[in-house]
Amino acid sequence: MTSVTEEKPVAKVRRSVLAGQAVLTAVGAYVLAESAGLGLWNDLGPGPGFFPCILGAALVLLSAAWFFQERAGVQAAPAAEASDRSQVRAVVLSLLVLAAALPFIGFQTGVFLFLMYHLRLRARTSWIKSLVIALCGSVGVYYLFTLGLNVSLPEAGLVPLSLIGL
Amino acid sequence: MDVLNELLGGFASALTWQNLLFAFVGCLLGTVIGVLPGIGPVAGVALLIPLTLNLDAAGSIIMLCAIFYGTTYGGTITSVLLNTPGEAASAITILDGYAMTKLGRAGVALTIAAAGSFIGGSLATAGLVLAAKPLGSLGLMIGPPEFFALVVVGISLLVALAGRSMVRALISGALGLLISMVGIDPVAGAPRFTFGMERLLDGVSFVAVIVGLFGLSEILSHRPGKDKVTVQAPGMRSLLPTRTDWRRSTPAFARGTGIGFGLGLIPGMTGSVSSLLSYGAEKKFSRHRNELGHGAIEGVAGPETANNAHANGALIPLFTLGIPASPTIAVLMGAFLQQGLTPGPTLFAEHAEIAWTIIASLFIGNILLLVLNVPLVGLWTSILKVPYPVLTGLILMFMVVGAYTINFSVFDVFVMILFGVIGLALRHLDIPLAPLVLTLVLGPLMERSLRESLDISRGDLTIFLERPVTVVLLLVALAIVCSPLLKLRKPAALAAEDPET
Amino acid sequence: MKRILAATSVAALTLAATTGCGAAGTASSSGEDFPRQGKSVELIVAFAPGGAVDTAARLVQPVLERELGTNVEVVNKPGAGGQIGYTALTSAKPDGYTIGATGSPSVVVTPLDPARGAKFTREDFQPLGRQVIDPAVVAVQPDSPYQNLDELLQAAKDKPDTITATTTGQQGGEHFAIAQIKEATGAALSPVHFSEGASQATTAFLGRHVEVLVANVSDVTDLVKQGKAKVLGVMDSERAEALPEVPTFAESGHDIVAATARGYSAPAGLPEPVAQKLEAALKTAIEDPEVVAKMDDLGLATSYQSAADYKKFWAQQEADYKTVLPLVQAK
Repeated sequence: MTSVTEEKPVAKVRRSVLAGQAVLTAVGAYVLAESAGLGLWNDLGPGPGFFPCILGAALVLLSAAWFFQERAGVQAAPAAEASDRSQVRAVVLSLLVLAAALPFIGFQTGVFLFLMYHLRLRARTSWIKSLVIALCGSVGVYYLFTLGLNVSLPEAGLVPLSLIGL
Repeated sequence: MDVLNELLGGFASALTWQNLLFAFVGCLLGTVIGVLPGIGPVAGVALLIPLTLNLDAAGSIIMLCAIFYGTTYGGTITSVLLNTPGEAASAITILDGYAMTKLGRAGVALTIAAAGSFIGGSLATAGLVLAAKPLGSLGLMIGPPEFFALVVVGISLLVALAGRSMVRALISGALGLLISMVGIDPVAGAPRFTFGMERLLDGVSFVAVIVGLFGLSEILSHRPGKDKVTVQAPGMRSLLPTRTDWRRSTPAFARGTGIGFGLGLIPGMTGSVSSLLSYGAEKKFSRHRNELGHGAIEGVAGPETANNAHANGALIPLFTLGIPASPTIAVLMGAFLQQGLTPGPTLFAEHAEIAWTIIASLFIGNILLLVLNVPLVGLWTSILKVPYPVLTGLILMFMVVGAYTINFSVFDVFVMILFGVIGLALRHLDIPLAPLVLTLVLGPLMERSLRESLDISRGDLTIFLERPVTVVLLLVALAIVCSPLLKLRKPAALAAEDPET
Repeated sequence: MKRILAATSVAALTLAATTGCGAAGTASSSGEDFPRQGKSVELIVAFAPGGAVDTAARLVQPVLERELGTNVEVVNKPGAGGQIGYTALTSAKPDGYTIGATGSPSVVVTPLDPARGAKFTREDFQPLGRQVIDPAVVAVQPDSPYQNLDELLQAAKDKPDTITATTTGQQGGEHFAIAQIKEATGAALSPVHFSEGASQATTAFLGRHVEVLVANVSDVTDLVKQGKAKVLGVMDSERAEALPEVPTFAESGHDIVAATARGYSAPAGLPEPVAQKLEAALKTAIEDPEVVAKMDDLGLATSYQSAADYKKFWAQQEADYKTVLPLVQAK
């Protein structure tokens, strides 16, 4: 495949696709190995490892099939529109930090800071608007859920915050 | 004529102005609560039960039914507008519901959803009135082997959900099944793929997975400038479905009612199975199947009709056998018990008046849902007037609350984030997400029913070939699987854009 | 009784002591402000909706709400014959906001068999009170070829392992009952495990997918009223109040007793005041005359035991089931 058509470089498999196939194969192999230890079949039919075993094998085979399809250019995955890296990073990181911090700083502080970050720093909303929305979203939602609906939300675990009832 | 008379009697006692007020308040509160993250119908009904405790039997059950319809519809609202399903049964609605929102047709989607819920619910209730007894015993014909075959039919619809590539759809399906395997094995009790984490023994939470896969990954893949123009609050006129919308929705309403009602009869089926299968059926049989996934009205009409028909159909096993077929029905059953009523055939014998009042109130609840929510659609869609970056921040907050409240632990928030990233990767690789959801729901049902069947036959697999219903169902599944395989290389839908042709 | 009194006074002392200190920080950890406004209590039922465990929990729930002054939410976590729900219960924080319905033998036996890989033992539960004892029964279709117990047992002897019978999961009460029948009489029924609970087992029986329903008195009371099941025998020393015409196994000449005992427990390590409050609330709820009457209607005979007695009962059950466990273990 030396001559590549203008429309589609059929023989060239995108690197991200290759990586995806490798990950899927690895997952399949892991599941296969793991399921053998669970017991595949006993005297009353399939054991706990029966379904995972089939699925692991299927995943490995399907990944291989996809690899060959992709190489042959059959039903290939179209080049995905690149997603906005900074958006992905900002959202995922801020969520991870929020989730990790919730048990320590509580819902009200955590979500307030989270919303301020997204509204003021990222979306460049005006200070007043950001403050009002963040307060409603954190303190307002907290009291709506805990007092209005009897659904508890995380409270602060750290001493100075927990003492003032956040 | 007897039935009609008794039903009219039921209406007479249900239609007091107090009861109507209860139903109205219940429906309104239910909708508002259903819109809040993390509170689906089960939690919503449970939360509001205290409101009903001091009412008489008829009043409290009317109010509960109204609350139930309200919370279900509230979940639909968030699916369509915010791409965040409130509960499993409306998860699939987000595919086309949110796509319609992006096209500026959110109002149409919500109106059609309300209409579909009304139609599905009313027809299923009519079924309950006309033929509860025979239908109840029909549901009983589904033993473990038939149940397994039914699930296989469901999984075979996976081929309809494939995008460009069958192989990638199957990969997606296998992943969904694998995720459903995490946790304690439902039969022998062996922990599987828990990586030593206590939290995973209970399995991966479905709602966290769905919110991550669809909602979060959508936000992650958003690029500024792309959606700014398209996400818009619709004007008053565009709230109402056009005649074409109605015409296209009608077959979807019919299929949705059939699927939801049929599956609702079977104890052990959940509403999410109905909505998923209905979506699969639209993908397979709708005349506009190629538009599904890009904002086709059928993708909202079918599943929303199906899950409400399912919910009402599930009352038949409750009334005829005393078996609550789903968690929400169990909450309703709890309310029956509080009132000193034992649900089951004896209910009609011993408390016929109340039984008919309840049935009448189901109709009333359905009608209220329609008259209350259609005018409010304008109000709900005004959420979209909020600028996108601000809305994103709030949606993210909603997702965190929703994931947290599943088990009151941040673990599910992390699960949600993880699946957001996985969802992004799958989108990037052009692996469709819908098959994953389908198998995630069906996986545990399939495994359980297979192992129960083999218990019955003492490990003999021929049990699936000896029972007529099972054989028919398996043949249907085979036919569904084979139909696209014949054109595996060039799916008709894509022939036009396939550079090889 | 003395033990309770002692425990109460200890609790009262601790309570007085901590309030004396008056530190806000310690108050929440020692738990005498339990239950806090706005925090609901989750009641885990380890079986699918509709079974006797679920029904009993839903009857107790409103009285518990009244007594505790907060929301109590019944949450079904079915699967693996109760193991999934019990695991969720024992891995919850012992702060009183998670309690669960526990039924023996399932809760007693699960940790005994190493093959199940249970993450909990008896010590991980803090019993709060027993509610009912529900004897096991054997029932068939009204038009079944087996019209009395002897016919059924004889048929099972002639054709061992061909007559199917329901259980609510491997090593559940019904599985034990089937094993005990086989041990005592040589009649081998073939168990079909419905690991989600009694409602699934009943459904399969009503649909005639399984021939024999092995269940508890409460499961069949309504079925008998509807004429959908014929109960052949009760595995108890006396006839059941809800089924007065049905002979016991002993009357038919087989000395087999099997029952499910159900109560409520919390994860071990509750602060004493919380345990006190929950125990008292449960006692009121279980003995509430209205609840008892509704339970009777369903064929559930209330048999309350305090936390301390329930704990002793549990230990006794563990000892008993250890001896019969090999009968139901996978080969």
